[in-house]
Amino acid sequence: MPGTTFCIAASLVEYFLGLGPAMTVMVLGLGIADYMFVPPYGYFTYIDARDVILVVSYPLVTVIVIILIERLRREQFRAQLIALVAQSRYEMLLRHDNERALARRAFDETHRLLRHLAQHHDGFILIKGLERNAAQRASAGQSTAQALPAAAEVAPGPLFDALHPEDVQRLTHALSPGHHRLRLRSEQHKREYRHTNCSCERFTTHAGDFLVLRTES
Amino acid sequence: MATVDMERPAVDPLAAQSARFFSEGDGHAVLMLHGLSSSPLELRYLARYLQGEGFTVCAPVIEGYSAGLGELPMEQWVENAVREFDALAARYERVSICGLSIGGALALRLIRERPAAQSLVLLSLTLAYDGWAIPWYRFLLDWAYFTPLRHRYRYREAEPFGVRNEALRKKIARAMQRSDFSEVGPSTISLPALHQALRLSRAARKDVAAIENDTLVIHAIDDETSSPRNPRHVIDRIGSNFLRTLWLDDSYHMITSDNEREIVARETVLFLRESEAARGAHDSPGQPVVSKALARRLRQLAAVGRKNT
Repeated sequence: MPGTTFCIAASLVEYFLGLGPAMTVMVLGLGIADYMFVPPYGYFTYIDARDVILVVSYPLVTVIVIILIERLRREQFRAQLIALVAQSRYEMLLRHDNERALARRAFDETHRLLRHLAQHHDGFILIKGLERNAAQRASAGQSTAQALPAAAEVAPGPLFDALHPEDVQRLTHALSPGHHRLRLRSEQHKREYRHTNCSCERFTTHAGDFLVLRTES
Repeated sequence: MATVDMERPAVDPLAAQSARFFSEGDGHAVLMLHGLSSSPLELRYLARYLQGEGFTVCAPVIEGYSAGLGELPMEQWVENAVREFDALAARYERVSICGLSIGGALALRLIRERPAAQSLVLLSLTLAYDGWAIPWYRFLLDWAYFTPLRHRYRYREAEPFGVRNEALRKKIARAMQRSDFSEVGPSTISLPALHQALRLSRAARKDVAAIENDTLVIHAIDDETSSPRNPRHVIDRIGSNFLRTLWLDDSYHMITSDNEREIVARETVLFLRESEAARGAHDSPGQPVVSKALARRLRQLAAVGRKNT
């Protein structure tokens, strides 16, 4: 059957190139098959049973195959688009998830700060609020080694007045988390300053970042 | 299905309401370009959201391009848009460009004129009218421009008006019957405007690879006006390092008014802020990545990006 080869050709073209080219190949194939592969060769005008069989069966089979492949191709295209939607949604979900994790971290830190304040309320020297944006930049991990940015405000604690004026100057300008050795006025001798071990902790709360300096006891 | 309307309606008073939208915010200004022969009204939700997030928002009315302001060749549209951009760039540190539909094509042309822009947001980008609701014989309209029909026929918008939300669609249908205008655009578009839009999108297709600004592309897969081939054309060719693509499946063409407008607004804001952070802006750092899943995904994407380049 001469139409088979052209039917296969049209199906392959449909699979790789789409409907328009496949239809073109089918129509051209019909002409070529009739002209070159159906005896008597080289005539269009001579029509007999073999021509009729070709003209009926070849387009019928080919069109059915092409339409089925076209439907599958459309479904495939649709599925690819839906996969893209799923991917976009997954990425959105991850970004949301990140926000939730951040909020949760801030929430936990707020609790830790509150517990810390309740536990060490006697030994406070000062609480310093960091500028929110600068603090976020520092917490993003790029600049942890650098000095912390300038303070937005400093709230004095119960022991703030006992601090040596030079230390006050130094701390308001540059305070970093960790251990410090500061001069505090001793309670017995009002004029005397004594070196005391202090520790400073950092809290990343939802209301901003805070550095809390207290004596170690 | 779209039909062609013989009458030439009068300029609508509602169009006057849809005037220029401007709101002062921080140093990041967003220039919002609406669709063809439409008005800043269709960007209202997104503009208000951006305003609420602290951006400076400017949705200008562009002479010759917006509804009811005469017809000018597309070179004039681009020139007017560039002027609006320069006015913002003179006052604000960063200016981003956001375009909806044909406004996206205008944004692509504009960003080639002004490559210093912060970022580019393409919503339902339209480079060709080839969505599923566009009839196959639509190309005749492009030819009709060259016939005496040019000033008589107007292309009439029809269901579903680019909106999937049925309640909103009914509302728009009523508004369009009553007058010439609705919140998702005009009810009719003139042939010269369509012809200029065709020229604009041809110009916008060229040299997409030269664009290196951060880019966000949002497109609905069921868009009835512009098929997903339009954004694909840009995604496959654009030269930017930071490209984010979002595909929606519960909207049609007017993604700023449809079911997923909240997602569009939210993701646009997130993208603009991330773009700021990526460019090392000092006063607005990005959010740190805490989620391990997100970090993994970002690494994956970065690996894909390296392979492609």
